[in-house]
Amino acid sequence: MNTTSQHLKMTVYTALFVAFIAIGAFIAIPIGPVPIVLQNMFVLLAGIILGPVWGLACVAIYLLIGLAGMPVFSGGTSGIGRLFGPTGGYLLGYLPAVFVTGSISKGLGKKMSSDILAMLLGTLIVYGAGVPWLKVVTAMSFGKAITMGMVPFLPGDILKIIAAAVIARRLRPVIKL
Amino acid sequence: MPEKIIDINDLCHTFSDGYIGLKAICVSIYKGEFIILAGKNGSGKTTFLRHLNGLLQSDSGQIRVKGHSVSNHLIQTRKTIGMVFQDADTQIVGDTVFDEVAFGLENLKFSRADITAKVTQALKGLSLFHLQDRTPSSLSGGEKRRLAIAGILVMDPEVIVFDEPFSNLDYPGTIQVLTTIIALNQSGHTIIIATHDIETVICEATRVIIMENGQIKEDGTPADLVKHLESYGVKEPCSSKFGLGIQPWRS
Amino acid sequence: MAQLIPFTYRPGNSLLHRLDVRLKFFTICLISMSLLSAHLPACGGYALVLVFFFKTAGLNVWETLNSMKYFMLLLFFVFMARVLTVPGDILFVFHDISISEQGIMEGGLVAFKFFLVMVTGLIFSTTTKPSSVKSAVQWFLKPVPFVPEKRVAVMISLSLGFMPVILKQAREISNAQKARCADLQKNPIKRILRLVFPLLKKTFLSADSLVLAMESRCYTDDRTDPEFTPSGNERCFFAGTVVLCLSLVCF
Ligand SMILES: Nc1ncnc2c1ncn2[C@@H]1O[C@H](COP(=O)(O)OP(=O)(O)OP(=O)(O)O)[C@@H](O)[C@H]1O
Ligand SMILES: [Mg+2]
Repeated sequence: MNTTSQHLKMTVYTALFVAFIAIGAFIAIPIGPVPIVLQNMFVLLAGIILGPVWGLACVAIYLLIGLAGMPVFSGGTSGIGRLFGPTGGYLLGYLPAVFVTGSISKGLGKKMSSDILAMLLGTLIVYGAGVPWLKVVTAMSFGKAITMGMVPFLPGDILKIIAAAVIARRLRPVIKL
Repeated sequence: MPEKIIDINDLCHTFSDGYIGLKAICVSIYKGEFIILAGKNGSGKTTFLRHLNGLLQSDSGQIRVKGHSVSNHLIQTRKTIGMVFQDADTQIVGDTVFDEVAFGLENLKFSRADITAKVTQALKGLSLFHLQDRTPSSLSGGEKRRLAIAGILVMDPEVIVFDEPFSNLDYPGTIQVLTTIIALNQSGHTIIIATHDIETVICEATRVIIMENGQIKEDGTPADLVKHLESYGVKEPCSSKFGLGIQPWRS
Repeated sequence: MAQLIPFTYRPGNSLLHRLDVRLKFFTICLISMSLLSAHLPACGGYALVLVFFFKTAGLNVWETLNSMKYFMLLLFFVFMARVLTVPGDILFVFHDISISEQGIMEGGLVAFKFFLVMVTGLIFSTTTKPSSVKSAVQWFLKPVPFVPEKRVAVMISLSLGFMPVILKQAREISNAQKARCADLQKNPIKRILRLVFPLLKKTFLSADSLVLAMESRCYTDDRTDPEFTPSGNERCFFAGTVVLCLSLVCF
C-alpha cells in the first residue's frame, strides 16, 4: 500500500477511535456497585493501537469537538464549562496519557506485558492530572479528592487494562497496523 | 461500433497472503453497455471491480480507461468511473445529505457556487432534495443507496460500477434503486453491476459476464448465458426456469 | 444516539440559528471566561439574558433540567465541598461539622456559575449544526501552525458519522449475546471483551471500506473551503456581547 492510502487509513482509524472515546462515556458495563465506564479504556487503546502521534491527535480532536460544543463528554454535556469544570483534569490528562502510553507500547515492541505497563502508566497520568484539578476546583482536601476521585475507580481500571491488552493483541492482526 | 471505454488486458492479481484473486482477465467495455458481473461468493467480482478504479493495483497486465493507463491517471480514472460500494453505511463521509454529496466535488476543488448547483441538481435527480439537511444515518436503506449514487453521479462519471446494489434492501428500496439504475443507463451511462442474484436486473442487461475462481468463464448476452448460470453457482431467474424466457422483475 | 445524547442540534430559524457560527463560538468563549470573575448580581443578570435566549432557541425548561441531572449531581458535590471546607461565621453545627454562611454563599456561587456556563454551551449546541461547528473549528485552526485543519475537519465529520453506527452495532451485539445468556458470565474481563472486541473488529473492517470509498471519490487534503453565511445581525450581537462581558467583569 502506498503512503497516501496508508495516511488516509490512519486518518479514518483515528476518527473511529475519536468516536469510540466519545461513545465510551455512554456505554457502561454493569459490574458490581460502580458500573464500568469504558471511556478511559478507549483512550488507552487509542495509544497502543494508533501509536503516540495519531493517538495524541485522536484525543486532541475528541477534546476539540467537546470544547466546540458537541455533546461528547459524559452526561451528554460539552463546552468550555465542562473542560474547566471539576472533572476537566481527567479529560485534559488524556492528552499526556495517550502519548506516553503509545510511546511506551511502541518503544517496548507492542508485547502484551509492555502494553499493560504502558496503560498502567497512562492511567496514573490521568489521575495525576485529574485529582489535583478536582481538589483545586472543589476546594476539597487532598485525601478527600483521592478517596472520591480515584479510589472507587481503581478496581475497574485494572480490569479494563487487562481487557484492553487482550483486545489489542487480537485486533492488531485484523487491522494490520 | 460504440466507443471503447475500458480495455483490460491479461489482468492478474495476487493478494499479499499468496491467494490468487484474479487470473488473466481480458475484457473490453463499450459506452452505453449494461453489464452484469455474476458469480458466486468469493469468485473475485469485488476484486475485479476495485482494479477498475485503481483501488487495487495489478501484478501484471494493464487496464486502460479511455486510452490512459489507470495507475498513471488515477484522478482522471476515478472521475470517469464512479463506484458504489457493497455496504451503503460504510461509505458515508458527510454530516448531512448535502455535505455527503458535496464530498467528491470538494476533493476536486470546485468552487462553492458550482458545488451548490451540482449537488442540488443531483439531489433533485434522485428525489433526495427534500432530505438535504438530514443526517445520512437517519435515512432508509433505499434512500442511503440512492444517496451513495448521488455522491458518485455529481462527479459526472461515464461509467458507474455497482457492487451488490440490492443487498439488504426491501422490495420498495430495490424498486427505487433499480429504477434509478435503469434511468442512468438510459441517459447514456455505462453500467456495471456485480451480483450473485441476477434476477432483478437481467431483463435490463445487454451483457452478462460470469466469473469463477478469479477468471472470466463466460461473456455473452443474457439470452445466451441464462441457461449456463447455475453451473457457476448463480441462480437462474424463475421466469427462464419455467420456460418463459427473461421477464422484467418489476411488475 | 438522540436518546442518549440530549443536547443535539435542533433545526430552527431563530436569531441564534442564523448567526455566523464563528461569532457564536467566539461569544461563548468570551462569556464563559468573564463569568469566572463575575459576582452574584452580574450572574443573576446574565441568568435573565440566558432565559431570553433559552426561549428564542425553543428549548423546554423541564426537558433540559432533566437531561442535565447528572451534571446537577456534580454541581451538588462542588457546592457541598465548599460548604464543608470554607471557614466563616458559623450558621449551625451538625454533629461535629460546622456550616458557615460564607461556605454556603461561595459554594452556591461557584455551582451557579458552572450551571450558567453549561446552559450557555447547551444553547449553542442546540442551535448550531454539527457541520457548521466543524467548519468553524477548521476556520479557527487555520492560523495554527502544524495543524492540517482540513484533515481535522474531515476527521470530525467521520467521527460524528461513526457514533450512531457504533451505538447501533453495540446494541445488536449486546442483544445477540443476551439471547445466548451471556448475562450469566460473571468474569468482568470476559464481559468487556465480548462486547468490545466484536464491536472494534466490525467497525474497523467497515472503516477499511470507508477508506476505499474515500479514495475512489478522490480524497485529498487540498479541498474546497467551507462557506459561512452571516445573517447581518453580527455587529449588533457582537456589541451586545462586549457590553455583557464588561458588565459581568465589573459587577
Ligand atoms: N485482502 C485479501 N487478502 C487475501 N484474500 C483476499 C483478500 N480480499 C479478498 N480475498 C479473497 O479473494 C477472493 C475473491 O474475493 P471477492 O471479494 O473479490 O469475491 P466476490 O466475488 O466479490 O464475493 P462476494 O459475492 O462475497 O462479494 C475471496 O476468496 C477472498 O477470500
Ligand atoms: Mg463482493
